[in-house]
Amino acid sequence: MSEKQESKPQNGGEEIRIGVYVCHCGLNIAGSVDCDEVAKFAATLPNVVLAKDNRYTCSDQGQEIMKSDIREQKLNRVVVASCSPRLHESTFRKACEEAGLNKYLFEMANIREHCSWVHLHDREAATEKAKDLVKMAVAKVALLQPAEEVEVPINRKTLVIGGGVAGIQASLDLADTGYKVYLVEKEPSIGGMMARIDKTFPTMDCSICILAPKMSDVLHHPNIELLTNSEVVEVKGYVGNFQAKVLKKPRYVTKDCSACNDCTEVCPIIAPNEFDVGLDIRHAIYTPFAQAVPSTYTIDMNLCLNKDNVIVCDKCIKACERQAINFEMKPENVELEIGTIIVAIGADVFDPSVLPNYGYGRHTNVITSLEFERLINAGGPSGGHLIRPSDMQVPKRVAFVQCVGSRTDRNGRLYCSNVCCMNTIKDSLLIKEHWPETEIYVFYVDIRAHGKGFEDLYKRARKEGVKFIRGLPAKILEDKKTHNLWLIGENTLQKELYKMNVDMAVLSIGLEPRRNSEIVQRLLTLSRTQDGFFMEAHPKLRPVDAATGGMFFAGCAEAPKDIKDSVTQASAAAARAGILMAKGKVTVEAITPISYPEKCKACGLCTKVCPYNAITLDKELQQIKIVEAACGGCGTCAAECPFGALTQSHFTDEQILAQIDAVTEYDSEKKIVAFCCNWCAYAGADFAGVNRMQYPPNVRIIRTMCSGRVAPKFVERAFARGASVVLVAGCHPGDCHYINANNHTKDRVERLWKKMEQSGLDKERLQLLWASAAEGERFASKIREIQTIIKRVTPEEIHKAKRVFEKALEGV
Amino acid sequence: MVEKEPIKASEIDTKFKYEITKMHGGEKLMRCFQCGTCTSDCPVARFSETYRPRQIIRMTQLGLKERVLNSDTLWLCASCFTCTDRCPQGVEVASVIRVLRNLAAEKGIVPRVFKEQVSSVLDSGYAYKIPELRMKKRESLGLPPLPKGNPESICKTLRGLGFLKHLEKQGE
Repeated sequence: MSEKQESKPQNGGEEIRIGVYVCHCGLNIAGSVDCDEVAKFAATLPNVVLAKDNRYTCSDQGQEIMKSDIREQKLNRVVVASCSPRLHESTFRKACEEAGLNKYLFEMANIREHCSWVHLHDREAATEKAKDLVKMAVAKVALLQPAEEVEVPINRKTLVIGGGVAGIQASLDLADTGYKVYLVEKEPSIGGMMARIDKTFPTMDCSICILAPKMSDVLHHPNIELLTNSEVVEVKGYVGNFQAKVLKKPRYVTKDCSACNDCTEVCPIIAPNEFDVGLDIRHAIYTPFAQAVPSTYTIDMNLCLNKDNVIVCDKCIKACERQAINFEMKPENVELEIGTIIVAIGADVFDPSVLPNYGYGRHTNVITSLEFERLINAGGPSGGHLIRPSDMQVPKRVAFVQCVGSRTDRNGRLYCSNVCCMNTIKDSLLIKEHWPETEIYVFYVDIRAHGKGFEDLYKRARKEGVKFIRGLPAKILEDKKTHNLWLIGENTLQKELYKMNVDMAVLSIGLEPRRNSEIVQRLLTLSRTQDGFFMEAHPKLRPVDAATGGMFFAGCAEAPKDIKDSVTQASAAAARAGILMAKGKVTVEAITPISYPEKCKACGLCTKVCPYNAITLDKELQQIKIVEAACGGCGTCAAECPFGALTQSHFTDEQILAQIDAVTEYDSEKKIVAFCCNWCAYAGADFAGVNRMQYPPNVRIIRTMCSGRVAPKFVERAFARGASVVLVAGCHPGDCHYINANNHTKDRVERLWKKMEQSGLDKERLQLLWASAAEGERFASKIREIQTIIKRVTPEEIHKAKRVFEKALEGV
Repeated sequence: MVEKEPIKASEIDTKFKYEITKMHGGEKLMRCFQCGTCTSDCPVARFSETYRPRQIIRMTQLGLKERVLNSDTLWLCASCFTCTDRCPQGVEVASVIRVLRNLAAEKGIVPRVFKEQVSSVLDSGYAYKIPELRMKKRESLGLPPLPKGNPESICKTLRGLGFLKHLEKQGE
C-alpha cells in the first residue's frame, strides 16, 4: 500500500494545494534541525506545491510571505513547522483568514518543543524526526475541511473566589466597570491575610487602615454581592456560561446585628481566635476582628452549646437587644449563572513544627512571623506591645531566622517564598521604631530586596543597627530556667561559629499553596505546577489566565506574592475577564462531533460517555441529537461509537489514521506512536521542550484534544502498521479538562491490553501515561523507559501484532 | 594556611565540579547555596578553628582542585553525616568529602597519621600499636592476652581492593 495513493483525498474534485513553511526560529530550531533539508523533503510530499524555510515564520514578514503565497499560488492548505500549536496556532490561523483561507485548513508541526529542543545534540535524528512530523502534518492537512465557528453569548457576571486583597481588588475593578460580581469568601469576614498584618513594606503603611476602606466599598457596592461564610461546591459549564453552586453556611445572626458586642460578653464558651493565630481567645459568638466586613457576628456551631435547635444556653439571645440571633437559620444553596471566574484563594503559611531543630511548639519564645505580626499589631492580643510569650516582658534581643520552610527539599518547599525577606526587614524596623535599644539579629542565606523601594528599606534597617548575619542557625536551644534561646550556627562570611543568646526568635515562615487547592483544582478543572500553585496559560504572555477558558488568577493562588503584586495581578485579572465580557460573545472552536445518521444504530453509547450531556437520544426517531454549544470538544463520543457513525470535526478518524500511516511508513519497528491530549500530556511534552529535557528521538506525537478521543482502532492501526510501542497519554484521573472523559481512555486501554494478552502479544507495547502540563520530566523519563521495551520487541513480535490487528488496516 | 592566600585564576579547574557530580555521593554538589547549616551542626567544627565543611564544598564548586585536595581539614571529618542530614538543599556533604578524600588518596595525598595507621594495621592487624608496657600491665591484672591480629589476610584483602597500590605510590 503506497502512502501517496492513500493520502490523496476524495475532496469533490478540488485540487489540494499545500504550502509548507519550515521555521528556523532563529537558532532555536535551526540549531539542531537542518531546516533547509526538511523544506526540501516537504516539497516531495503529495499535494505539496511549495515548501519554504524562513528564519521567523511568526514575524510580520514571515506571515506576509505566507499570505501572498496563499493568494498568488492559490494555496488551499497550509502547514507551518515551527513551535507548539499551543503557542502560535491562533497567530497563523489568523494569517490564513486574512488571506481568505478558512482557518481550519491550517495545521502545525511542532518541531521546536517536541524536536529541536529535546534532541539538542543529535542533529541527524532531530532532522529525521522533523521530516516525519512535517509528513504527518501534510497527511492531515490534506484531509482537513473548512469549518465555521458557533458564537455563544457571554453572561456578563463574574464569580470571584476568595476575599483577600486580591479578590477584593478584582471585585471592585469589575464592579466599577459595570459588571455584576459575586464575591465568595469561606471565612465570616473578607480581608484575608492582609487584614492580619500590622504594616506593609516598603512604605510602612498601616495594613488594615488601607484595606478597611476597600472592604467597606465591597460591602456597599451596588454591583457586588458578598457571600461570606460560603464555599463554592460545584461549577459546571464552559467559558461565558458557567453555573456555580455556592453553599452559604448560616451565621445564626441576622443582618439586624449592630456589632455592639453585648452577646460576646455573656457567652460562656471560649476558644483560640484563628485570626490572631491562636494568641488570643474568642467566644462561640464572635467577630474575628474589629474591622470585619460584614460586621455581623457569627456563631461557631462547633463550639456553641445549642445544637440541632435545642436551646440549652440562651445568654446571647437575652443579651441581644435587637433580637438578631436566630438559631433556626439553615444552610442555603445559592445557584449562580456567571460568565467568568477569578480564582483568588490565596496561600497558607508553612507550619514550622515539622522542623525539630528550631523547637517551634516546644520553646515558648520561638514564634512565627505571622504570630509576630499579631503581637506587634495594635489590634492584636498585646495591644501592639512587643512582648515575648514566656514572661510577657519586652525582649531585649530578638533574632529572625530566614528561609524557614522555603528553598529546601527537606521539610518545606523548594521555591523562594518571595515576601519573607522584606517582611523581616519591615518587622525589624517596627521594633526599632518603638524600642530602639533592642538588639536585632537577622540570620539569612540571601537577602532578596528586589522590588521598588525595597533596597532602601534594607539599607535603613542596617543603618538603624539591625545586624544581618549570613548563615542559618542549625538549631535553637532553650535555657529551661530563663526561657532564653541559644542559636547555634556559622557566620559564613567570617568563617566563625556563633552561639547567640537571644530573648525571642522569630521564624520567617514561607508561603504554601492552600491546603484545599486540590479540591479547587478539581472543581474548576485547572492545572497546578509542581510547587502546588495554580498554573497560568503562559508564564510570560498570559500570566493571569488559566488554561481553561474564562478563568483567571489573582494573588497568591498563582504564586507567593506581596500585597502590591497581588493587587496588580487582581486588576489584571479583572481586565482580562472584562475583555471577554465586553465582547459579549465567544466563539466555540469547531471541533464538535459530526454524525452520520445512516450509520447510527441508536445504541446510545455516545450519550453515556459525553461529559457534558451534549448528546441526547431520541428513542422514537431512533436518532441522536447534538447540542453544539454545550459540547466541550473532547471527542470521546467519536472514540466510543462502534459503528463509525460519529467523528470529531478537525480530528476525524481519517485525519488521525493518515497521521498514523505517515509515522509508520518507514522504520515503524523503531518508533513510538504517542497520542497526547492537548491540555496535559501534549503540554507536558511542550514543557519538557521548554526546559530542554533530553529524551530519545524515536517518539512521534499525535495531538488529540483529549485522550478520550483515542479510539481503539487508532492503536490497532498503529500496531497493524508495525509500530513498536504505542503510548496513550492524558491528564491525571480527576484532572481531565473535559470533566471525566479520560476515564474512558483507561477503560479502552484496559480492553486493548486484555485483547493483546489473549492474542499472546506483549501488552507492555501499549503504554498508558498520566502526565500533567507541568510534568515534562515524567513524560521524558517515560520515553526513556520505553526504550528498553523497544529493544526487546522482536521482528516476530511485530509481525504477530500486524496479523492480530490486520483488520484495522481496512478502510475507514 | 593555604586558604588565606588569594585565589588565582590559573588555579581554577572549571571541570572539577563536574567530575565530582559524576561520582557517587557528589551528584548534588552544585545545589549548595552556602547557608552554613552543615558547619553549624558539625561536631568537629565546634572544636576546630579551621574545619568548615561549607568551605570545602565552596572550594570544590569553584574548582580549586589542588587547594581542596591538599587541604589538611579535608581529613578532619568524622563522617557522622549530621551535615548530610540537615542540609536544606539535600547536598550529601559527608559523601562529597569522602569523594574528595578518595581523589586525594589516589594522588597520594594522605596525612602522615593515616599512613601510620595503615602500616600499623598491615604490621600487626591493629590500627594502634599497643605498647609493651600495656601488655605487661594486662598480665599483672590477670587479663587474658589480646587476640592475635591477622595481618596476612588483611594485606590480601587490601591488595585485592587496590588499596595497597595507592599506599605504595605514596612510598615512592
